[in-house]
Amino acid sequence: MIWALICLIFLVGLWGVTRKANMVKKVMGLSIANSGIILLFVHYGSLSGATAPIEGSGRPMVDPLPQALMLTAIVVGVCVMALALVLVYRLYLRFGTLDMHRVELGAWKLHD
Amino acid sequence: MTDSPLVWVLLAPLLGAVVSLFGKLLAPLRRPLSFLGAATLAVPAAALALLLEPVLSGESVRYALGGWPEPYGIGLVLDGLSWISCALTTVIAAAVALFSLGRRRYGAGYFFFLLMMVTGMYGVALTGDLFTMFVSFEIVAVSAYVLIAWEGTATGLAASYKYLVLSTTGILFFLFGVFLVYRDLGVLSISHISQALATSGGVLNTRAMHLALASLCVGIGVRTAFIPFHTWLPEAHAYAPHPVSAVLSGAMIKVSLFAMIRIILQFGGEYLLELLMWIGAVTALAAVISALSQSDVKRLLAYHSISQLGYMLAVFGAGSALALTASFSHALNHALFKSLLFLTVGAAVSLTGQRNLYRIPPLGRRLPAFSAAFFAGALSISGIPPFNGFASKGLITAGMKGSPAYPLLWVTSFLTIASFIKLGRIFLPGEEPKGLLRGGDRPGALQTAVVVALAVLCLCTGVFGRPVAGGLYRILHGTAPESIPRVFSGGRLLGVLPAAVLGAAAYMAVSTDLGKSLSGRVRELAPELRTVLLFFFVGLLAFAAVAY
Repeated sequence: MIWALICLIFLVGLWGVTRKANMVKKVMGLSIANSGIILLFVHYGSLSGATAPIEGSGRPMVDPLPQALMLTAIVVGVCVMALALVLVYRLYLRFGTLDMHRVELGAWKLHD
Repeated sequence: MTDSPLVWVLLAPLLGAVVSLFGKLLAPLRRPLSFLGAATLAVPAAALALLLEPVLSGESVRYALGGWPEPYGIGLVLDGLSWISCALTTVIAAAVALFSLGRRRYGAGYFFFLLMMVTGMYGVALTGDLFTMFVSFEIVAVSAYVLIAWEGTATGLAASYKYLVLSTTGILFFLFGVFLVYRDLGVLSISHISQALATSGGVLNTRAMHLALASLCVGIGVRTAFIPFHTWLPEAHAYAPHPVSAVLSGAMIKVSLFAMIRIILQFGGEYLLELLMWIGAVTALAAVISALSQSDVKRLLAYHSISQLGYMLAVFGAGSALALTASFSHALNHALFKSLLFLTVGAAVSLTGQRNLYRIPPLGRRLPAFSAAFFAGALSISGIPPFNGFASKGLITAGMKGSPAYPLLWVTSFLTIASFIKLGRIFLPGEEPKGLLRGGDRPGALQTAVVVALAVLCLCTGVFGRPVAGGLYRILHGTAPESIPRVFSGGRLLGVLPAAVLGAAAYMAVSTDLGKSLSGRVRELAPELRTVLLFFFVGLLAFAAVAY
């Protein structure tokens, strides 16, 4: 059940990236799909134990590695999303629209 | 921490990046600090020279960052494959950094991101585990997004955004592959994965591992830009600042290709080779047809990067030890001549302010050194002796002997010649209209020195093609080669003639009215984003399905 939900989150993200014309919504889609992958790791890690990975708590701990990896992945994701939003803002200032299709048409026509 | 030269390969450009960023704080010292930052690239060069000896004898140098041993910590591994990858990065990055030094518009921030990108590429080459490879890929990518949009032009911003959306989606597939590997094998270090797979009977007999390998290949494939994952490359490489295009085409796509080759070889994914060979051959042919139809000079070069990458992939797919050497040899040569071409053509674009090759006046008299260097690069990529393209294409022919995909590459070779006849007109000596070039941006002495040096390198690696290939073979396989085919044999020299004639004929055909209207049609063919994402899934399924 949870696996299916995670898969759904990932697919919703990809759907947003492809089907939404608005560039900000594309960034949201990327962020959602990224969260899907992060949930995948964290959920898998949580199956291996019962409590937070702190030494000496006595109960079986979860595997700390997926959490450590995903902390890094979240940081990387935040950087990419921040940069993407900067690019969207600059493109909006240039073209006055957030529609990816119109931006692309306008941009590639500038040369040639 | 500092006891091994290996760690300095990674640390030196990182420190260099920080040093050049201080130029923002101390504005009068901006140029010396940028120079100091670029000069740190000498450290990896020296370290790689020191480490060549163990690599030549076939062992890999290992280093555990922070003293944590490998299953827990981050391990750096330098074997023959990553040595070549690092050496290629060093040469191209140093050339590009020197080329950018003379330009006012490339300030402290530019050098920071350039050196961060170089650090990331070293990271991709040296890392011992999959997750660090992901982080390094993202370091390269984030710096690349910033650098592509550096000049703030509308096209640069749009190209950067498109690249960001596609490659971030691609890297999610990579992460999915990492997840499958961790779930089923419990390790992420590439050498441990290799051992675990060997004990459990290979990729095909381990649960979900072919799906993991397919996801990893799709993720890296988006960065490497072979068909069907290539759609971001023409814009990103064409509308980036010229030195950035040189480093993207020259080094970045190769570093990701080498990462993919490493993963496939270590996973034992030999069943993928035939698919890769066909993908490579189709990529080479389809991209060169697109290149031939372009009129924007840098887009034309960008499509050629995809096409030449197809060569490397196709010959890697042939699978023999010689074929692997041919693939690396062509990657090295392509790095030299393609960065040379991007730098010279970029100089023509900034001098005239035009990108359409029919509107750029002949510049042979205005930029004699750049013209000579451009023709060295153009002859190299067309495979004309004695330049290096001829040498590595000879190796590719030998490596793919008897393969059914070879005719596609042969057609590609004469279409390449045709498109460089088309492009070459901008550097022919001829009368230029007066007054057009007054406000242009003339290249300085440092820029001229860099392109001349690259042209000389193209010539040297061509003339000494056989020893270079022998050296690459030794670095890759740790043993001396049994036989490397001769580069300048009579039959091969004669073989250039029909290709040149067919190339000229193809150029004639393209310059007719019918050819021009067909070119226009081909230019219009740009897949939409949703189609591209469908390609990702199709590619994933194809890579997974060849297992059966």
